[in-house]
Amino acid sequence: MLSRSTSSRIPYAGTAAIWGGVFVLTAIYLFASRPAPLADGQTAGRTIPIEKVFRIVAAENSSMRTLWTAEIVAAGENSGLKFDEKWREKEVAAGPLPALFLREAATAIRKTQVPLGLFLGSDYPINQSNMFTGTQAEYFRKMRETGEPQFFPAADIGQQTAMFADIIVAQGCANCHNEHPKSPKTDWKMNDIMGATTWSYPKDKVTLEETLQMIATLRDSFGTAYDTYLAKVATFERQPEIGERWPRDGYYLPTRQVFLSEFERRASPDTVDHLIHIFN
Amino acid sequence: MPQPPPPERTIKIVSYAIGALLALSALAVLVLPQFERVYAKGPPNTGHQTLACADCHTEAAGTVRQQLQAKLQYWVGNRATDASFGHETVGNAQCTACHLRDVDNHPVHRFLEPRFAGARAALGAHLCVSCHREHKGVRVTMIPIACSNCHQDLDIKNEPIVDISHKQLVKRQAWSTCLGCHDFHGNHRRAAQVQFKEAYSESTIMEYLAGGPSPYGRDIKFLAKKGAR
Repeated sequence: MLSRSTSSRIPYAGTAAIWGGVFVLTAIYLFASRPAPLADGQTAGRTIPIEKVFRIVAAENSSMRTLWTAEIVAAGENSGLKFDEKWREKEVAAGPLPALFLREAATAIRKTQVPLGLFLGSDYPINQSNMFTGTQAEYFRKMRETGEPQFFPAADIGQQTAMFADIIVAQGCANCHNEHPKSPKTDWKMNDIMGATTWSYPKDKVTLEETLQMIATLRDSFGTAYDTYLAKVATFERQPEIGERWPRDGYYLPTRQVFLSEFERRASPDTVDHLIHIFN
Repeated sequence: MPQPPPPERTIKIVSYAIGALLALSALAVLVLPQFERVYAKGPPNTGHQTLACADCHTEAAGTVRQQLQAKLQYWVGNRATDASFGHETVGNAQCTACHLRDVDNHPVHRFLEPRFAGARAALGAHLCVSCHREHKGVRVTMIPIACSNCHQDLDIKNEPIVDISHKQLVKRQAWSTCLGCHDFHGNHRRAAQVQFKEAYSESTIMEYLAGGPSPYGRDIKFLAKKGAR
């Protein structure tokens, strides 16, 4: 005959064994690495601080801005091409001004899977919606004082951010902004910091592959922006010849390939140099 | 003369048949695409009536076990990023796959710029679903006074309205009147009214946001892509 204490312990032992078994099975199900764990979104292996990548894409953008401003807009206006802030309107036979070309490229980036953000703003913008405010205005002030790019996180959305000075590279830029009826500042001159490009990316470190993807996407986006311009040109009553020649030669425009080749010729040496030393 | 009760075997067979039929019906509702709307959270928003669930709700990567393991590893700190369970979270990418336009007065990605931190905190302006919450059966779910978050300092140099200035409207905090002249995304070919008295009434705008006819006309600049995914 079993003692009273033994008979009362047996049912508890059974329950404990069942729960123990359930616990072990659950632990195996949840922790054992079969099947293989899901890939982590975090970058593994050798990485590059995003600041270095921001410097590369900002330098690429600066090359494009100079090319567009000097070789297409300024030279184009001398040869009879028009550029207008309302260039997208059907009845306006014109192309995008430099800031609007940049916006076209920024929109094109957003159509890709690469989460690179590009914005243009100022403390004296023609369009008030481009006015820097809050933290961004403070960093812009700092940039005006030091002339140095600013890097800071936008913590609420987990984005890394960089601001680079947007400097007046052609007298035409200063003239246009000084004469614009909505301009809040009318004494712009060459080499003034007119505003800043702001870049954003959701990681603080990236792989070399991600870096190359960002550069390639930016270049593709310049191509897309230029395609949009050429599509608009195709609606002009008097169409320029599109081929090997540039507006400095007369009423001409380069093809996409010629345009991008010239851009690559100008931008690539710096970019390659940055890439070679990127892990230093 | 009363009928004898059916034999027990017959009752069992009929019960099993009814049970099987009910189980099959439930299974059909669960797996047949014709019934997918039955278990949606609510009616589709304006213009989304022909979308399939999978157009927005894509399956999360991995098996259920992998997803559970990844979540657990994330919770205990062994993994840097969380994992989706079942389906991926619906975000801007799903919306912009059809709705990203070459020109937009308020593209959602613009609100990712640092200076819009206030609008992000107040409205979630960087997320499409903050204004267009799905499964509500309407066009817009945001109360149309959101303009106040960014345009409090509005001071237009060459005032285009002839019977009242924008500055006066801001002073009066007349934020519910903005959409009476301005199409938020600017996706209609039209010019804004130059007289405030010609602005569309608030009730007209509210009706439009609820899925009613567009006061801005039907001449759309960029049509939504269909089947972009």
